[in-house]
Order: sequence, then structure tokens, then C-alpha cells
Amino acid sequence: MSNQPTGAQLVISTLKALGVETVFGYPGGAIMPIYDALAGSGLKHILVRHEQGAAFAADAYARSTGGVGVCMATSGPGATNLITGIANAYMDSVPLVCITGQVATHLMGTDGFQEVDILGICLPIVKHSWLVRDAADIPAIIAEAFAIAVEGRPGPVLIDIPKDVAASKVEVSSVATFPTWTPPAADPKSIEAAAKMIEAAKQPLLYIGGGVEMANATQELRDFVARTGIPVVSTLKGLGTLPTTHDLALGMLGMHGTRAANTAVQETDLLIALGARFDDRATGKLNAFAPNAKVIHFDIDPAEINKLRHADVAVVGDLKAALKALNPKVSGIQKWVEKCKADKWEHRFKYNAPGKGVYAPGLLKSLSEKAGDKFVAACDVGQHQMWVAQHCEFAHNRGHLTSGGSGAMGYGLPAGVGAKLARPDHHVVTISGDGSFMMNIQEMATLNRYNIPLKIVLLDNSSLGLVRQWQELFYQENYSEIDLSDNPDFVEVAKAFGLSAFRITHRHEVEGALDKLLAAEGPTLLHVLIDPRENVWPLVPPGASNAEMMEERWDEPLDSY
Amino acid sequence: MNHLIHIELDRLEGSLLRILGLVERRGFNIDGAELYDLGEDKRGLSLTLRPREASRNLETLGLQIDRLYGIRRLSADPRGVTTSAIKNKVSA
Repeated sequence: MSNQPTGAQLVISTLKALGVETVFGYPGGAIMPIYDALAGSGLKHILVRHEQGAAFAADAYARSTGGVGVCMATSGPGATNLITGIANAYMDSVPLVCITGQVATHLMGTDGFQEVDILGICLPIVKHSWLVRDAADIPAIIAEAFAIAVEGRPGPVLIDIPKDVAASKVEVSSVATFPTWTPPAADPKSIEAAAKMIEAAKQPLLYIGGGVEMANATQELRDFVARTGIPVVSTLKGLGTLPTTHDLALGMLGMHGTRAANTAVQETDLLIALGARFDDRATGKLNAFAPNAKVIHFDIDPAEINKLRHADVAVVGDLKAALKALNPKVSGIQKWVEKCKADKWEHRFKYNAPGKGVYAPGLLKSLSEKAGDKFVAACDVGQHQMWVAQHCEFAHNRGHLTSGGSGAMGYGLPAGVGAKLARPDHHVVTISGDGSFMMNIQEMATLNRYNIPLKIVLLDNSSLGLVRQWQELFYQENYSEIDLSDNPDFVEVAKAFGLSAFRITHRHEVEGALDKLLAAEGPTLLHVLIDPRENVWPLVPPGASNAEMMEERWDEPLDSY
Repeated sequence: MNHLIHIELDRLEGSLLRILGLVERRGFNIDGAELYDLGEDKRGLSLTLRPREASRNLETLGLQIDRLYGIRRLSADPRGVTTSAIKNKVSA
């Protein structure tokens, strides 16, 4: 009898059988049987300092590797602390398996200590969820959870395991194996219709999202661009799918998009959406978006077709195969392409900002160039996030980790933890702001504990910059609760956590500081003081068409940055 | 305009809540709901729905319901608006 495994041991053995190497989590009362089984199991567990950090780190681990992220937390507050991370993974379609402890079955529904209905709370933000009633179901449920997390449009799943179920002994003969999923092929007729529509277009434009890399179709996309010469605009999450330095890459579209990208969208007669979902930050005023265009929409999720914008042709299914099969004879678009390229050149970003203070866009561009092909940015949310999207060069999509759909401040540092563990040979840099950084600042303890050599660039404007910018522009400079000038000394804080840290305040220090940061051995923070009045440009005002961009003009450009 | 839809679903933890929550969240009022037994592992649910604004369409809702796990069948009442999404599900 004593050889029979417990439910908790099955959790650990099943995770290992499915090939999981690293899990992120935080123990507590209801999940103690699982942590008991974890000890000495050989499964690597990263102890974060807040469960939200576990969810974000697992999310970034998944995004970096293309695999599945796993996080664990106890019942009640442990479980609710995961929620922001689960919602983030849901909005950005990241495969995440979350395992929570639950109070014992007989206490459920009695307001037991640390009881919360996490399954109920998470219903809107998971692909699926399970409450395990019988420990014998655990291998099958975990295997199904991994299958659902990755199939179709990926996303988070939740497995809630009551303490008594985890502690109970069971006889189990089956061993879960990692399910393989083959995406359904798109209807060949729809691909043919798409090809005809592309051949008829005079001003076609590709609008690519995060779905291209998720479909493992990056090479096919690059080949398609090479053989058709059609220009490309990208969503925030699509950046790097086509290298940002490619001459047909017009940049990001939308609220903080480039002039060239938004102009192209306004003028195109055929918008070819690939794994993108017409999000409001990309489209601006929806009925003024791509007003002259027919739409071809490629997506794995049929529920995205016609959700916000009518698709004249919908191609639902495996994007990789669909792009290979898509072979339109494109001709007569040269004038259009030249116009797009001319716009790109004319409205290119300039880095000769006046003054001697650090110009963050210039710093970020330089950082990405120095880090090169192995650059991985784990971004937080705010002005710095938009500057990264606008100014960093990305050779690969998985080098740009950002909280897109959910816009969750606090993502950057734990995401850096997950990404650096997943890609130890890459230059993983968390890029954060002083607002975001404080939201998960405790994860510096995780860096220190495991000596994870993550690099951090903290762009500090002593305020909630993006909110401040909106108050300046759209709320008559009525600055409300955006001042963070009483921030702690971040260099001292980082040192107290065991990191190396240093600070720069002037532009002439930037190049040396970046070299020093990238060459540093252990976890290191570069604290950068920037001007609080700096804004993100261009900007499409809320509710406006993407044609109505506001841009900064420098009257007297100074010396080149 | 009201829609009447029928759903057959597996008896899974939270399955009713998933459907009702999704319908409300995606912008439809639930004016009527009827649950009926279809055997040990299956239930039927009929919902009378009304979009809160004209931009919400039943076809997208049908596809979003279909995206849930454990949905066996989905159909619209012939007296209401039948969408191709829902028709497809029936024929599949």
C-alpha cells in the first residue's frame, strides 16, 4: 500500500513526464502536499517573492522558449495573486499551466481559512480550468491541460487541487505523455481566394501580429515578403517577426505607431492581417481604420474573424502551411512600395534631441544594437515600453517580451527572471520605469537567490509618465496623482538586494554605461534619470483616426546623438 | 432583437457559469434560460438573448461559445436569426 503515489506525487511525476524542467511558485498551507512531493524530485522550482512574479516569470519563460510555462501557488491569497498574470497570458495568448492548492474538499464552500473560489474567479481569463475531485484523474488532467494550453490559439489554464485530494493515495497505471497537436489546415479555396485578391490589389499591405511566431510561421512570413515585396506593418506583439531593420518593415501601427505604418494602413487597398486581432490600440477609431481596404484575415481562432472588422476573405487554420501555399503573382505595386519606403525614410526617428540629459529613445536604440541578435527585452508598461517598441531593433519576435493586451505594470522584472532562465546565453534586459519597477521590485531577491545575471535598465522620470503625458495633452495639464519624486534611491535598494547597481544622469555617459551593463557578470541595474517632461511621440489621440497623429517637432536640432 | 440558442454541453466543473458569464461579458442580456437533462454526462441549455448594442453579433458569440471546452452542439432556433457559425456547428 505504501508504494501507492499520492495525488501530489502524481502532480510532480506528471510534470516531469511531460518534460517540464522549471516551475515558478510560492508555497503555502493548501499546497503543502505538492511542495512536500516537490522536494528532492529533481524538478527545478524557482521560489519567487510574490505569486504574481511566478505567473509573469512562467509567462515569459513560455514566450522565450515557445514552450509552456508552469506556475504554482497556494489557495486564497496565493491563488488571487496569480490572477493578473493569468489575465496577462490570456490577453496575449501565452500557454501557461497554473496549479493552485485549494482547501480540503470538506471545507470548500464553508468560507474556510484561505478559501477562495479561484476556479470561479478565473473563468473569464482561462481557456479552461479543472477542480480535481479524484487524485486518480491528475495525470490525465495535467496532460489535457498542457494540450489545451498549446492547441489552437494558446492561452492559460488552471488546475485547482484540494489539499485532501493532493494528499490521498491512489493506484494509477497510466502515465501522461505530452500530447502533440497538429493545427488544422486552412481551406485551400480560401487560400486561392486570398491569392487572387492579392494579385488584384494595387496597394497591398501586410498587418502582422503575435500569431505569426506563435504559429511557427516566421520563416514562411519572411519568405512571403521576399517573394512578393509587400510592405509590412506590425502590432506591438508582432515586432521582430520580420527583422525591424528590414527595408519593407514600416514599423508598428496604431496609437504610438510610426507615421509610415499608419499612413500605409490609411492608404492601402488590401490589408492582409496575419495573426492579428484589430485591437483598439492598433486600429484607433475603428470605422476610420484602413478605410479604403478590403481585408484578408488569417487566424487560427475563428472567433476573431469578423469580430471587429469584416473580412472579405478569411483563412482559418495553420498559418505556416497557408503561407507556404500562398503564391500570388504580385505585379504593379512598385510605385506603392516606393511611396511606403519614402514615407519611412522621411518620417524616420531622429535622435538629436536638444539638451544634455539622457534621451531614452536613443539609449534604447543603442542598447539593442549593442546587444545584437541575442537581445531579449523584457519590458514593463508605460512610456519606456512604447519607446522600446519604437526604437529597439529586434531580429527575432521572441526577443521582445511585452505585456501587450493587458498592459500589466510589474511584468518586466519577473519576465526578465523567466526569460533569462529560459535563454541563459542571450542578452536579457529588463527595461522598466520607476512606476512599473516598484510593482514587483521584490523579485530582485529572486535574482540574487539564484544569481540570475539579468540586466535591468530603469528609466526613471520620477512620475507615471504615460498618465502624466495624457493629463498634459487631454486633461488640460490637471496633473493628478502622477508624482513619484519620493521614490527610494533605486541604486541603494538594488544593492541591498545584492545586485550591482549604478546610475547615469547625462547623455555623454550612455555609451559607457551600456557597455558596462552588458559586460557585467551578475545581476545588474542601470538607473537612468530622464526628464519627466519627455513624451512618447507620435501619438494618435484616443478616439481619433490613425491619420490624426500628433508628432513632436524640435525647432533647433542639436548635434547628432 | 431576441435570439434563442440551444447548447448541449458536457457536465464539467463550472460549465454553466462559463457559458452564462461569457454571454453576459460579450455584451448580451440573458432574458430567459432553461436547463434540461440529457443523460449522465450531458445537459442542454436554452438561452433567450438580447444584444445590448447593435454592434454585438450572434455569429461572433456563437464562435466564442464554441471555443469553450465541452460544448457538444450549438444551434439557433429557426424562428430567430440563424448564423452560419451556429449552422456549421450543427452540421459538423
